[in-house]
Amino acid sequence: MSAPAVEAPVEPKRRITSLEVLCAVLVVALLAQGQLASWLDAPAIQTGATIFVAVCAQALPFLVLGVLISGAIAAFVPASALDRLLPKRQALAVPIAGVAGVALPTCECAAVPVARRLMQQGVPTSVALAFLLAAPAVNPIVLVATNVAFPNNPGMVAARLVGSLATAIAMGWLWARFGKTEWIIERALRRLPELDGRSRWRMFFETSRADLVEAGGFLVIGGLTAAVLNVVIPREWVNTLGEQIVLGVIVMAALAVLLALCSEADAFVAASISGMPLLPKLVFLVVGPAIDVKLFALQAGTFGRSFAIRFAPATLVVAVGCAVGAGAIFLGGAA
Amino acid sequence: MRRETQNILLVLVGGALLKISFTGAYLQYVKPAHQPWLIGGGLVMVTLAAISIARDLLATRPAADPVLENPGGDNPVSATGSASVSATVRTPAADAVVAQDPAAPASADPHGHDHGEHHHPARSAWLLLLPVLAIFLIAPPALGADSVMRGDNRAAASRSSGTDGMAAFPPLAPGDPVPVAMSDFAARAAWDSGHSLDNRDVRLTGFIVVDGPDTFLARLTIACCAADAFPVKVKLTGPMAAGLTNDTWLDITGRVVPGSASKESDYIPTLTVAGLAEITQPENPYEQ
Repeated sequence: MSAPAVEAPVEPKRRITSLEVLCAVLVVALLAQGQLASWLDAPAIQTGATIFVAVCAQALPFLVLGVLISGAIAAFVPASALDRLLPKRQALAVPIAGVAGVALPTCECAAVPVARRLMQQGVPTSVALAFLLAAPAVNPIVLVATNVAFPNNPGMVAARLVGSLATAIAMGWLWARFGKTEWIIERALRRLPELDGRSRWRMFFETSRADLVEAGGFLVIGGLTAAVLNVVIPREWVNTLGEQIVLGVIVMAALAVLLALCSEADAFVAASISGMPLLPKLVFLVVGPAIDVKLFALQAGTFGRSFAIRFAPATLVVAVGCAVGAGAIFLGGAA
Repeated sequence: MRRETQNILLVLVGGALLKISFTGAYLQYVKPAHQPWLIGGGLVMVTLAAISIARDLLATRPAADPVLENPGGDNPVSATGSASVSATVRTPAADAVVAQDPAAPASADPHGHDHGEHHHPARSAWLLLLPVLAIFLIAPPALGADSVMRGDNRAAASRSSGTDGMAAFPPLAPGDPVPVAMSDFAARAAWDSGHSLDNRDVRLTGFIVVDGPDTFLARLTIACCAADAFPVKVKLTGPMAAGLTNDTWLDITGRVVPGSASKESDYIPTLTVAGLAEITQPENPYEQ
């Protein structure tokens, strides 16, 4: 109703609006509740539903934090301030953005809206992407969790830190060299006008709200995918791999993408897989926060599909490479 | 999608998060320490929606008085909402900026001004209904026997000890029987060089998993949320262990069979059951 000019039908016939659709869906769902519950009674579906709600409940508050930070940058941090903060040369700015990721101790969901806002404020895309990849992987909470999960392998923390940071920086440099801006949908990069006074607050609330509605939907897609895969993938075959390093690395990289675990928890899951050498576990820890099905859905929604289908596979390959490299240095004989 | 619909969706999602955090249902999905995050996230969602709704209501008041909307009167963004701004005095460039401005009250969808893709970007927002329906209508239960059987075959004990070798554990607390966490019990049975469990009556809390001829007492451990849940199992033996059904929550007292948690048994210890009592599911169904 705020937008009669946009929404009001031009033709005399009244159109059905999304508001009415929503009401209808809610009424039908309420009436059919008993029926729905009986359809969903199978144990596998119940397990999947629990995991779906768990992923949403786990990730949504972090997404909220992300859109608030993103909204605050949009409203209160002028593009010129960011410009002054970062070195002019991209090759230098990329590693700085990677290290700056340490300061945002949240899960990967929060980093996506923030990275997009940085791009909108004129930060070079490569720099924003380095931040996007580093923030969820190298923050203090994740490193402490990793240390707790691997009490007898202190090298694991250093290997994870270096592997993830190297992934972020390498992807930033790769983008600076080969990336094309037209892969990113135009609205993700559109500059926002400079504001002052009260309009800043309005901008803050409105961008936060709009980002949340949009990214929230994609987060749900990711959560749904992760829940289905969590139920469908048999865990037994992970244990039959034993000491086969190459196969182990491939399987653990695939698992990291498919299970979409939160980066605070993945170290515990990796540690719990018995009989597997440390190197594949490290790959699991470096790949997971950089790219997984949940992140892919968020990236496709935020930056566009043609960006996501290029960026995600490249990230996967680079992350595996960086993890193996970091493992060779820090785990050495232990791997 | 219309702004009103988006706002209602946000209220519903935020309300769902608040509901599970206040009823305690969140413990079936995430770790206890996540509660403040859930409350904060839910409150912010509801607040953002409320501000947006309030502003829409003010903006559509008859005459949409620009004074109320824009006390300064010199604010370019606020002015875009009022019809008093004549398009003729604007340069095309200025118009472009205005059209993209998400803060402009007149924009139905801040991201979808391009006529070609007007409804496209917000379509994903419909999916926000799924968690709402799942939480309010289905309220999925805590993970149970089905999840344990899926996560089978992973050596439960290696997680708590984090090692593949024996270690000296601190002595068990006094008490007869002594209550022990399932993960602690499994770790001690497999790795304790001091054999602190031998000849001690312990009390374990968990649920039943029947797998073929074997009956297990199980408990899931989570690090963050139910997606990373990890089962700890104890095999039950003795006459009292027969005839139990899946997902029955029990307090069980008994003694470990020394040496039962070996490589051959996948480090799953065996407990001789001396007594059992059926209980309701604990408030927090998972161990940390």
